Amino acid sequence: MDFELVFLAVPTLAKGLWLTAILTITSVAIGFNLGLALAVMRLSKNRAMSSFAKGYSTVFRGTPLLVQLFLFYYGLGQLSFVRDNPVLWWVVGDGAHCAVMALALNTAAYTSEILRGGLMSIPAGLVEAAQACGMSQLLRFRRITFPLAIRQALPAYGNELVLVVKGTSLASTITVLEITGHAKRLMSQTYAILEIFAIAGVLYLLINLLLITLVRLLEARLTRYLPR
Amino acid sequence: MLSKGNQNMKLKSLLLATIFSTGLAAAHAAEGELSIGTEGEYPPWSMADAAGNVTGFDADVGNLLCAKLEMKCHFVVQAFDGLIPALKAKRFDIIISGMSITAERKKQINFSVGYAELANMFVVKKDSDLAGVKDIETLLTSLDGRTVGVQAGTTHAHFMEKRASSAVLKTYDTLDQMQIDLASGRVEAAFADSSALQDFLGRPDGKDFQFVDVKVLSTFDPTLGEGIGVGISQENTDLKARIDKALCELVADGSIGKASQTWFKTDISRPCQ
Amino acid sequence: MELGLWQVWEGGWISAILRGAAITIALGMASMAFGAVIGVGCGLIKWARIFPLTLAVDFYTSVVRGVPELLIIYLLFFSSVEFVARVAAAFGYEGLAGNGYAFTIAVVAIAAISGAYSTEVVRGALAAIPSGHIEAARALGIPGRRIFRRIIAPQMLRIAVPGMNNVWQTTIKDTALVSVVGLQELMRAAFVGAGSTRHPFIFYFIAALVYLAITLVSQGGFDWIERILRPRTRK
Repeated sequence: MDFELVFLAVPTLAKGLWLTAILTITSVAIGFNLGLALAVMRLSKNRAMSSFAKGYSTVFRGTPLLVQLFLFYYGLGQLSFVRDNPVLWWVVGDGAHCAVMALALNTAAYTSEILRGGLMSIPAGLVEAAQACGMSQLLRFRRITFPLAIRQALPAYGNELVLVVKGTSLASTITVLEITGHAKRLMSQTYAILEIFAIAGVLYLLINLLLITLVRLLEARLTRYLPR
Repeated sequence: MLSKGNQNMKLKSLLLATIFSTGLAAAHAAEGELSIGTEGEYPPWSMADAAGNVTGFDADVGNLLCAKLEMKCHFVVQAFDGLIPALKAKRFDIIISGMSITAERKKQINFSVGYAELANMFVVKKDSDLAGVKDIETLLTSLDGRTVGVQAGTTHAHFMEKRASSAVLKTYDTLDQMQIDLASGRVEAAFADSSALQDFLGRPDGKDFQFVDVKVLSTFDPTLGEGIGVGISQENTDLKARIDKALCELVADGSIGKASQTWFKTDISRPCQ
Repeated sequence: MELGLWQVWEGGWISAILRGAAITIALGMASMAFGAVIGVGCGLIKWARIFPLTLAVDFYTSVVRGVPELLIIYLLFFSSVEFVARVAAAFGYEGLAGNGYAFTIAVVAIAAISGAYSTEVVRGALAAIPSGHIEAARALGIPGRRIFRRIIAPQMLRIAVPGMNNVWQTTIKDTALVSVVGLQELMRAAFVGAGSTRHPFIFYFIAALVYLAITLVSQGGFDWIERILRPRTRK
């Protein structure tokens, strides 16, 4: 391996690591809340709400993230009312903001499916018991339904987090210089394709390892009452 | 530490767990046929239509060259920053894609003599304070902190990284994407060769834009290359000699100059030294 | 008209997009088929715990599932992949003309990705077969190969269908990423159209609709297969 190249590539790719982390954290923070809202809507008795949530999830899970990203970045960027509106342009006009929006809307669809599974797995008896105790609907959700659902959904959500990390690489196609963006630039400059792939790949694997470990720790904490 | 070859093997075997290489050498193009790699999305140099037919200055140079060599031309369209890897993988015999000859690229492939050279220029909005700048040093320093669009893997990108590193560089896979972002205001300036930008200024979305009156030539900075040449694989030394001879004749008899007049309204051909 | 519907129609882009969709489907199916072969091979290795090979398979699946697909595609695209040329030559693409080269790279990349996910599905399906079935078959003295053919394979196939449906949905969406290497598939057709007409919104919108149609129709197909394979039990 060419050491000079490693010294050149590692700091550059590490700069990208920071942006990859920010993109992941912001889109997960927004996407999780949206996904939770969608899951609750999906299970509500209101037909309009549940079919909206179902349609949303079908559309976002049925199309490639790259198409969504280009539709938002180049597609919306073309429309004059978006360009003239300062708030919309703040979101669409900047590559990183736009990537966060696309990733958040995309992960919300997958998150809603995962959380819906978790919410449906809760035994009716538990909810009825809480009702019998006189808990309000909100309190019931906060104390009983949500904690149980999240515990059930956690392993699947861990996989979704890895998919979000991998999804951030697409931001490089709309000029955002995260890990893959820097890697591509270095590849076309130095032609040391394998070395750069290896370094960038290791960075991604490290992020994913960290995330999976965090999810496992949280899982262990939430299930600590179970016999081992 | 693993040796490079060793790592190579590991990664390849990992990606292709079940696909084995057969040991066959890649097939060469049929005798009498010259396959030419070109970008196909760089007007007026190289434009491919939906059916894969290529027109433009590059196509004209290719056809002239084929006629001179008495071979049959066959164009293969490929994204610009993948042209060199694809040539090395023998996807085609030569590259004709407005490609500047640079030291970096010479490490990968051979080049013919330079047969053309075009000024590189910046385009900005007409009301931009950069619009009136007249000399290159002022221009490069005043780009500090501004967003500038370039095409990925081009000499323009390398030049910006070297000479205007304080500017915020946005790289695009195609010129079209860069021009869409220039028109929408996502980048404040774009740097490319004057012909490509002339094409943009002639479009409806380029009407509020103009050139900065500074011509950046390869004499100013060698990262911008030694003119535009035909890319040839390093193994193919016999072909290089034949192409060099043909190109020099085509420049000398004015054929390339004529093609240049058709596409650029000016003669950009570069005489053989 | 700001949206540019007229330009889409007039420029003949509809047929370019439909041709792209055909290539997307062909690419998805070829990659899925090779991926399934990789998946069955690696899945069996993982399930049977064939020692040194399991390490290689684990390495393969964890790297491919942990590293972005786009990075893997760039690796194959930029490296001067002589082996792709060799693979192509072995399959009869002599001159590597036209789309053959890009298609080969694309299939190699997408099949490697899809294979890693298939491996997990196959392994899971094999693990879900009750060990009693295999033990009973052994007790009856049925030879090993026939146990695989009569007991293991049919059950594995049935249990793996929903998982394979997920892999297929991911695979067809991953094909959009190879537009960056220049293969004229659906996304690339939309991309070229968007650039040349300067109406990106309508082009990416149409592309999204076509992808949605492909995923919804194939979802229906998988539901049908699942219904057919469901074991018939007496009520």
